[in-house]
Amino acid sequence: MNFLTKKALPRRTVLRGFGATMALPLLDAMIPAATAAIGTPAKPVRRLGYVFMPMGADLSRWTPEGATLDKLSPILKSLAPVKDKVNILTNLELRPAYPGSHATSNSAFLSAARAKLTESSDYYLGTTADQIAAKEIGQATQLPSLELAMDMMETVGQCDNGYACVYQNNLSWSTPTTPLPAEAHPRLVFENLFGAGGSKAERQAALKRRASLLDFVKEDMVALKRDLGPEDRTKVDGYLDTVREVERRIQKAEADVSENPLPDLDRPVGVPASYADHARLMFDLQVLALQGDVTRVITFQLARETSNRTYPELGVPDPHHPLTHHGNDPAKIARMAKINTFHVSLFAEFLKKLDAIREGEGSLLDNSLYLYGSGMGNPNKHDHVNLPTLVAGGGASGIRGNRHIHFKEVTPLANVHLTLLERVGVHLEKFGDSDGFIEELAV
Amino acid sequence: MRTPGHSILLGVTVFTSMSVSLLAVPAKWKPLLSAHCFDCHDAASEKGGIDLESALEQPLGERTEIWEKAVRQLQTRLMPPVDKDRPSEAEYSQLVESLEKALDVHASRHPNPGRSESLRRLTRNEYQRVIRDLLALEIDATSLLPPDQASHGFDNVTVGDLSPALLDRYISAAQKISRLALGRVGSSPDGRTVRLRPDFTQEGHVKGLPFGTRGGTLIRHTFPRSGDYIIRLNLMRDRDEKVEGINGVHELQVLLDGEVAASFEVRPPKNRSDHTKVDAHLLARIRVQAGSRELGVTFVKTPSDLIETLRQPYEAAFNTHRHPRRSPAVYQVTITGPFEAGEAGETASRGRILEGLAAQDEAGARELLRTLLRRAYRGLADDGDLVRALQFYREGSESGGFEAGIESALAAILVSPKFLFRVERDPEGARPGSPYALDDFEIASRLSFFLWSSIPDDALLDSAAGGELSKPEGMAKQVRRLLVDPRSRSLIENFASQWLYLRNLDSITPDGRLFPDFDDNLRQAMRRETELLFASVLRDDRSVLDLLNSDHTYLNERLAKHYGIPHVYGERFRRIELGADSQRGGILRHGSILTVTSYAHRTSPVLRGHWVLKNLLGTPPPPPPPDVPSLEDNTVDASLPVRQRLAVHRENRSCARCHNPMDPIGFAFENFDAVGQWRTRESGQPVDATGRLPDGTRFDGVAGLEEGLLKRPELFVRTLTEKLLVFALGRGIEPSDAPAVRKIVRGAAEENYRFSAIILQIVASDPFTMRMTKSQNIP
Repeated sequence: MNFLTKKALPRRTVLRGFGATMALPLLDAMIPAATAAIGTPAKPVRRLGYVFMPMGADLSRWTPEGATLDKLSPILKSLAPVKDKVNILTNLELRPAYPGSHATSNSAFLSAARAKLTESSDYYLGTTADQIAAKEIGQATQLPSLELAMDMMETVGQCDNGYACVYQNNLSWSTPTTPLPAEAHPRLVFENLFGAGGSKAERQAALKRRASLLDFVKEDMVALKRDLGPEDRTKVDGYLDTVREVERRIQKAEADVSENPLPDLDRPVGVPASYADHARLMFDLQVLALQGDVTRVITFQLARETSNRTYPELGVPDPHHPLTHHGNDPAKIARMAKINTFHVSLFAEFLKKLDAIREGEGSLLDNSLYLYGSGMGNPNKHDHVNLPTLVAGGGASGIRGNRHIHFKEVTPLANVHLTLLERVGVHLEKFGDSDGFIEELAV
Repeated sequence: MRTPGHSILLGVTVFTSMSVSLLAVPAKWKPLLSAHCFDCHDAASEKGGIDLESALEQPLGERTEIWEKAVRQLQTRLMPPVDKDRPSEAEYSQLVESLEKALDVHASRHPNPGRSESLRRLTRNEYQRVIRDLLALEIDATSLLPPDQASHGFDNVTVGDLSPALLDRYISAAQKISRLALGRVGSSPDGRTVRLRPDFTQEGHVKGLPFGTRGGTLIRHTFPRSGDYIIRLNLMRDRDEKVEGINGVHELQVLLDGEVAASFEVRPPKNRSDHTKVDAHLLARIRVQAGSRELGVTFVKTPSDLIETLRQPYEAAFNTHRHPRRSPAVYQVTITGPFEAGEAGETASRGRILEGLAAQDEAGARELLRTLLRRAYRGLADDGDLVRALQFYREGSESGGFEAGIESALAAILVSPKFLFRVERDPEGARPGSPYALDDFEIASRLSFFLWSSIPDDALLDSAAGGELSKPEGMAKQVRRLLVDPRSRSLIENFASQWLYLRNLDSITPDGRLFPDFDDNLRQAMRRETELLFASVLRDDRSVLDLLNSDHTYLNERLAKHYGIPHVYGERFRRIELGADSQRGGILRHGSILTVTSYAHRTSPVLRGHWVLKNLLGTPPPPPPPDVPSLEDNTVDASLPVRQRLAVHRENRSCARCHNPMDPIGFAFENFDAVGQWRTRESGQPVDATGRLPDGTRFDGVAGLEEGLLKRPELFVRTLTEKLLVFALGRGIEPSDAPAVRKIVRGAAEENYRFSAIILQIVASDPFTMRMTKSQNIP
């Protein structure tokens, strides 16, 4: 009884319990360790991620000059260290998001589908690209997919111009009628990914305990089987297959713990008070989830459409949404651009972390593909053309970076989805309103 | 009656197999069947795959299925269709009686109690109750296990599966529960986050919280150890991330078992547009004694909560743009801890597990585990089980002491298939496809899972061990005891909520424009009304017909206002006597049922008619053929009232077959709108609530429908019996069960369909006490 009470809890955990400013990004301590060489996995796994930025961007400060990223635009400046693994895509549109609204900007972003106009529970959209991927490449991992957001609250009832709030809340839909709620609470995300976490030794001990419980299940199953008739024995054989599958996962997790240089996993307790800390924590959780191969498909909503979050830390005391209806006031546009710049910089930090982790011949970033973008172009007009879009990673499968790909013709965003799916091994002829593949990114 | 053993049964089977050809449908019915049925159901037409003409020529024993179907159609008068030439009432009842008699005789010679699956996993619902009864520990199983899929209307039917994800969750749940039960903590503090529904109005008093407070929530939480816990609160925000209803200063309190543990002020931000930090300070570190405690979070009610407006404010207040909150509301409560953990304390679960412990040594552990195993494996634990559990005890206690050992053994018990699965074994050497009597422990489990959705208690296990359950009086005694025990609440929360679709209420959101006053408070009040009426029939052991025909109901202020019934105040539900001309009463007039059978924006006579046919009359129409457009999208002029549009729709012959019986029942409810409010006009037209039962009885309104249903109570009781049987057996009801169902209904009729009479008949029936061995011809 007393062996546990003697144990002092780590101070940092205690402080985090207050949920105030103490929550540190999980990874600060890990980068050096992570760059240490590790065994080469036989086959690089491919992963797919999406980061959604609400309400478009100031395109004048987003769009780079020229065909390379050697001269980065102001909003994209922070990408400089990883620009060789980034492509900016210009002249994309999201036709299914019309008639222009916030709800459809969000819902069409990954579905390329038209949302049924309803405020009630008879909503209907389409299966989103990430979920199509999850059904293929997500099955080998503990979680087929991971849905993350920054807003702690789901809104209900009427949200935008007669659209049910689910369209605005959920990026990811596993069927046209099944929106997948995203989680914003770091502790809940963490527990979903890693259970209680702990140090390497603690995690190994936890896995051992699970393995020994599993042995027990197996023994009892075998005993049970002896008592049953032939038909029911077949059923128990099915259960035993299940036991072996879970055993396999535990063994894989054990191997991962000893081989993968995951840092001590210190379970985050509260929600950081500042947006930046919270967002970094959510990005760090993605790094860990990908590195530990807990999931291979992730979606992340940086903020909801119509978000009225203020960013005082950037010197932007105005709420985001009214600011995007800037009426071409240069001061307002400049402040909106600050928010865009800030969002991109959080993503750039994340890419740097992914790129610092070796995996196989390359880095974790090389073995992942991330799409970052918005369902809106110019938010002042609520239009869905000239979508600010970037694709990062994918080097392991031959995608080059440092390009500004400017399409001559207006191109559906769905073409990008189709191409990225192809890249992770999911072949479709068509997705949403797609009319072809993006040659520059295609295999 | 139960059958003593297999040897005698085998004898019966041999005898009866010779007599199959002796039974047939009496030939005197041929002219009647020929005149009214063979037009469609002869060898040539064989409509719906039913050929009665040929069946008539064959031995009854080979065609029981088709005749049972015929009986059912005839009984409800669904066949022949109303627009065809139908037999007289006298002919109908004589034919049905004669067919039933022949089928019952056949069944008595060839008992077929059916076969529930040998391996049936606990449902999530059951799991929560089992943990409560095994360990005296309240858990929230929804946070530990995935939901179950329903079939035949209940979630305990398709439970033969075990996916890797589920096994994984079982292991995690077992570890967490065993730790919690003994009050031990992991290496880092644990947390729980409780979120309130965003459409929950928090302007009024919440049941269980002190008077003079408003809104918030009451959480029952098990604090595993004494120590510091951090309580973090967040407020409801609107879609623009602004804290809703924030004007003036509000006092928010955290209550622990009713005592104020922390108190905060909530006020509007200085910079009016920046709401980021409004609830950032709602953080308290409080000292809590181990055990199960009630954590309340609520606002102190202030006079300013009463505001005067020109218009009457809506009851619902949660949507910024339509009916905004007038004061702030709690969104989320996070409990984290323990920090600086102290003793485990004397909690209920520790008391239950460590009860009677002589010494903290292996001998003590052996005794504790023996008791635990008996309860957890429902009397089916053997010495091998104890040996294996003790191994876990030894490993755990070596590194962490006695209680660590018990925790470790408990976790193992909770993942054993003997715990997670209910097992019914075919007796050794039994002939394939023959009926046999279940043993007393299997019966004990069937009883407790039927009436409690949980494991047998010690008394029930004792009576099984003493052979009491094989005797009718012993069985009846236990059933009566189980029924009066509070645990039989599961019949309301688990059975009735699934039978009547109350469980679907949570996913129903009526159109906010048309029904601005609908919120979660109303939704929960609706559910409660139906639960309480069902509970009163169960507890007072009245006739189940009182569910349809009630001179009283149960209301709180919110629901009474919704119904337009005055003088009911406060959150508390109470019994309300209703006058003869009241619009309220039985379940057909309950907001819950009327809402779950409506679309978001309008009533649906089709869904309501379907609900009655399926859940009250037991004759659900087949599912619509593929590619049938919904009423919205088909070609019928959308400006016509629903009744006329449905009439146009029924002119299509393939639609008419199912909609002719269905829609006219649904019309009875037209005086109730899509959230169950009374109306006399719809879209400017007077409501027309005339309809027709399948037997041709015409009626006006829900009173007429009730009268029609009560005229032939055996149909309703038969359907309820079948639903109870599905729930009790965990399998769908087959035509071969019909004789047993008839016997139950007849027996219950002698006692005026009292609830206990139906239950007692069910538990004495062959399908409940017996089971078929696996037949050979089915691979």
